[in-house]
Amino acid sequence: MAVLTVTTETDAPSRLPYPWRSRAVGLAVALVLPAALLILWWAASDRGWLAAQILPHPLDVYQTLRDMVASGELLYHTAISLRRVLIGFAIGAGFGLALGIAMGLSETVEDYVKPLFLAFAQIPTLGWIPLLMLLVGIGETLKIIIITKGALVPMTLNTFAGIRNVSPRYLEVARALRFSRWQTLRLVIIPASIPFVFTGIRYGLTHAWTSLVGVELLASSEGLGYLLVWGRQMFWLDTVIIAMLAIGIVGFVMDSGLNRTERLIQRWKRNEI
Amino acid sequence: MASKTPTSVRIRRGITLPILLLVLWEVSSRTGLVDPRFLPSLESVAITAKRELLGNDLIFDLLSSLARNLGGFLVGAVLGIAFATVLALSPLAGRLVMPTFNGVKQISLLAWIPLISVWFGFGEQAKIVFVALACFIPVVLNTYDGMRDAPKDLLEVGHALRFNARQRFLRIYLPSAMPAIATGIHLGLIYSWLATVGAEYFLAVGPGIGGLVIAGRERFDMAMVMVGVIILGLVGFTLNRLAATLENHLLRWRPPRTA
Amino acid sequence: MKLSIALRAAAGAAFAFALSLQPTLAADPLVIHVGYAAIGVDNRPFAEGTSAATARAGEFLEKEFANDPNVKIEWTFFKGAGPAVNEGFANDQLDFAYQGDLPALIGRATGLKTKLLLASGARKPSYLAVAKDSGIKKIEDLRGRKVALQRGTNSHLSAIKILEAHGLKERDVQVVNLDSAATVAALTSKDIDAAFGDTQLINLAAKGSADVIYTTKGDDPRFGRNAGIIAREAFISAHPEITHRVVDAFVKAAQWSSDESNRAAQFELWGKSGTPIPILEEYFSNDTLAYRNSPLIDDLLVSQYKEQAVKSKEFGLIRRDVDLNGWFEPKYLNSALERLKLKNFWQPYGADGKPTAS
Repeated sequence: MAVLTVTTETDAPSRLPYPWRSRAVGLAVALVLPAALLILWWAASDRGWLAAQILPHPLDVYQTLRDMVASGELLYHTAISLRRVLIGFAIGAGFGLALGIAMGLSETVEDYVKPLFLAFAQIPTLGWIPLLMLLVGIGETLKIIIITKGALVPMTLNTFAGIRNVSPRYLEVARALRFSRWQTLRLVIIPASIPFVFTGIRYGLTHAWTSLVGVELLASSEGLGYLLVWGRQMFWLDTVIIAMLAIGIVGFVMDSGLNRTERLIQRWKRNEI
Repeated sequence: MASKTPTSVRIRRGITLPILLLVLWEVSSRTGLVDPRFLPSLESVAITAKRELLGNDLIFDLLSSLARNLGGFLVGAVLGIAFATVLALSPLAGRLVMPTFNGVKQISLLAWIPLISVWFGFGEQAKIVFVALACFIPVVLNTYDGMRDAPKDLLEVGHALRFNARQRFLRIYLPSAMPAIATGIHLGLIYSWLATVGAEYFLAVGPGIGGLVIAGRERFDMAMVMVGVIILGLVGFTLNRLAATLENHLLRWRPPRTA
Repeated sequence: MKLSIALRAAAGAAFAFALSLQPTLAADPLVIHVGYAAIGVDNRPFAEGTSAATARAGEFLEKEFANDPNVKIEWTFFKGAGPAVNEGFANDQLDFAYQGDLPALIGRATGLKTKLLLASGARKPSYLAVAKDSGIKKIEDLRGRKVALQRGTNSHLSAIKILEAHGLKERDVQVVNLDSAATVAALTSKDIDAAFGDTQLINLAAKGSADVIYTTKGDDPRFGRNAGIIAREAFISAHPEITHRVVDAFVKAAQWSSDESNRAAQFELWGKSGTPIPILEEYFSNDTLAYRNSPLIDDLLVSQYKEQAVKSKEFGLIRRDVDLNGWFEPKYLNSALERLKLKNFWQPYGADGKPTAS
């Protein structure tokens, strides 16, 4: 019970003199559940409450993980998936940025393009996969297109929203200062919309990652999604769990990296204003 | 940002590209510019739609998908709100569970397919569980944030009035979290549709629009795939609009959001 | 406790949820869940080429229990083939299933509690088809090419053995995991260079969309595939009488399937799966029906399974050793043969592939 009181009292971390201490406590508390689950999983497997065909023993998972790391297999599949995502994301985010800026700056472009764009965006990425399979086959092109689409939609919409959300007052000031169009764009619109663009990047990358798993599940001979299918087909649940962990960790690293950058940018922006 | 362009002009502009695309489509498939196997004529898509609608079980497929979608959505949303409420109202529970939850949510939804299929088998329940999971995650995240953001002054008032847990929940936490819950539910609805398609692709064969699309691909029937994909889009669009309307309706008592 | 209400509500919801997930309890009408590790063309709930497919299309099980209104038969066909059958066994959603050798061994290695009751569709040949213009003339040419197979099925193991005999390892080709229907689509559109499979490939070749360049038929019989009727141990011990009757029905189906006078009728029956009859004729050409549809757990079958187990471990398809002792359960089969007076109906084969005197 002592632990309980200590942890509940650290409810307002900002008031504490040692923020690192409350963070350490927070981390310790956060690890309680995973640790408890691991112990439970271990015990349940040991005592046979949990059949291996439902969940393999943690030691088996660890053993397989070690083998897959040692043989380079895990790194190989992760690298392939990462490469696909980065290429697809770069293309999708690039196009999305351009499209978002174009639609944001010009109402004419918006009027022409947006309805069609939204109509395409309504169709879930998974829906596009079979259609594109017929068009471009099941090779690398398919994967890149699907990931590109995954990144394109949030990137476009957020960039567009960012530009449209520039406060009219800023624009008035720019007009009063007789900024040229280029100056207005560079000094007013772009800085003001950067946080939105960043949100677009974050969602874009998340969607790209999810789309990758989808397309690798359906048609692939390598990558983390393939590892999942492989494990499922061979009834190797340890491989499945490792692939899930790898997918989660990569997703987490990408997301928290971008999250941190986003906060940095926002802080920098606040200081600027 | 009020638009200066009249609506009629905007509509005209909006339909320009789609019409151009349709014309280009029709011309290229008619003239044989593109292999009709890859780009069937509009007519053959319409014929396929009619065939699936009248001759086959398109309606049944659609209803099966929708039932699966709504079933999973309801389970996921109800459990999600309940789970998040417990976590938000008990600081300790929140701090114990939320970090793990935030870690687990990083695993892409589709990566759960193999385990769900081993745990729940080939019946309808595996699909429902998958859809429910898809809905559960955004509902939990938003509900939790919404409840944690309950205004401190209101809580103090509640304290002064000696509200019990039930009163605090019903009069303070729930109302102030309503917008966030609505957002979560909206997202949950979108994700559950995505998950419905995923479940139909990757779990056991059964009636559904996702299955129709896959079957179309296997038969190299582009028209059939297109019919399926268009339905996927239409349903996604309708669900989205429905959720937005519901959201506005539920939150109509709130002052309009400032941009 | 302030939270008790919310907690209780959550616990209640979780409990209701958990209850709703329970497989429907087979209380009064006993439902016998029978799985089949394949699915018909366009997902038709039928199959072909085995006595189990005959039992399904000819309703042998349904007839066996026709006078028992309390017993229902429910068939499920799996696009995901043998690996999906294992998922069904793991969830107790299946009581019996037709399943190939590799997936059954994988299930056994993972700890599924099953028994092999009789053979069905053992000695099935495998085919290798290549895309038009792929330039692949012989198995050695597959090196580095895109080859489709459905992982974890008996066709997978057969493919690896064929590759091995021609100096190739699984890693030497680019394996694409596709099910039977997806294989047909991918081979037609030349997305892949080659595929291992059976009737769907003969059909494709007959349509001129691919070329069959190799079959295990007439080659070393050890390259072929085995399969049988697998049962869940818990079901057998709970319902030994029902198990006897289920096996009886399967044996009767095997007998009908083995009778040469039924050849044409049988292909017609199997045609329900969507496979054209000429394709089935080709599939069974030069084979006697009794050879292909024998239910016997003879030395040949047992030694084949044992060899498959060793090979699977060697190829890294199974990570643990599989203990096959006690897995074969010929009790029900033998009793059926006895009662149906079929003891000498099928020719048993020895481990060397030669007929043995019985």
